[in-house]
Amino acid sequence: MDNRLTPQQEHMLQENVIIEDALKNYPLAPMPRSITTNVMARIQKDFRPVLITWNDFALSLVIVLCVGALFFTVQSLPPIMLAKLRIQGILLYQGFQMNARWLVPTLLFGLAAFLSALTIPFLQNQFKS
Amino acid sequence: MSAAEQSLILRAQKGDHDAFALLVDEHQRYIYNLALRVMKDENEALDLAQETFVRAWTALPNFKGQSQFRTWLYRIVTNLCYNRLPNLRRSLIDFGDDMMENISETDPTFNNPAHEFESNETKAYLHQAIDGLDENYRLLITLRYQNELSYEEIASTLNLPLGTVKTGIFRAKAQLRKALAISEDSWITA
Repeated sequence: MDNRLTPQQEHMLQENVIIEDALKNYPLAPMPRSITTNVMARIQKDFRPVLITWNDFALSLVIVLCVGALFFTVQSLPPIMLAKLRIQGILLYQGFQMNARWLVPTLLFGLAAFLSALTIPFLQNQFKS
Repeated sequence: MSAAEQSLILRAQKGDHDAFALLVDEHQRYIYNLALRVMKDENEALDLAQETFVRAWTALPNFKGQSQFRTWLYRIVTNLCYNRLPNLRRSLIDFGDDMMENISETDPTFNNPAHEFESNETKAYLHQAIDGLDENYRLLITLRYQNELSYEEIASTLNLPLGTVKTGIFRAKAQLRKALAISEDSWITA
């Protein structure tokens, strides 16, 4: 059997060789500058998120102690004093309802505005970078 | 993955910045090149390369070494490219996954007269033709020939079927063959 390539097959083979060679010798683009410094600066700025810090632990301990102290204080109060406290609480709430309906929403709105304002420096930094 | 690289990765996983800087030094050129070939914009490629390493640092504790570190980085950078070019992933999937059996890759060292006499002009022309390919082809060609990944590694990096990768590279080469034929015709008529 004649295994010789036809001129067309030979031409195709030559083309394949040329293309394969060009692909294998396609040069890597030179880097305009090293990015290591920038990457390391960004990494050192944004520390890897840690699930819990010692501050979180201390804060939660204080909150738990406060809640516990409140619970034991309420438990140890005489019933008559509890009833008086409840009455005072209801009176205070009614006083708010009658005289200062605007106070609680205003305080909440103010707090929300304050918290939003705290994000401004962070957003500015983001836009800058 | 070499033992030295493995030790650098382990140190970086424990938070060693110097070890991570060495990893960045080693891989940045390939990551930048891949981003540049796909995005075709120097600044965007630099930005993508930086973002890739920042994300790699954040995700490093989850790197279990099941794949090579460099292929893991290529996965991150291609995902970032997908975010910037929303049509890229769709265009890759559209290749379909008809298995192309036995795609032969001719050995360029094979002693062939065409290879011997191939002019630098032809090579430069073909490099221009590669640059002119669509971004999906450029991504596949870069991963295959510059980053030297196997078809299987490309398929796993891009999360595509093996057949799709083979079809894509086959079609990219067909386009280059067409470009070469056009250039040959123009030389004959010139």
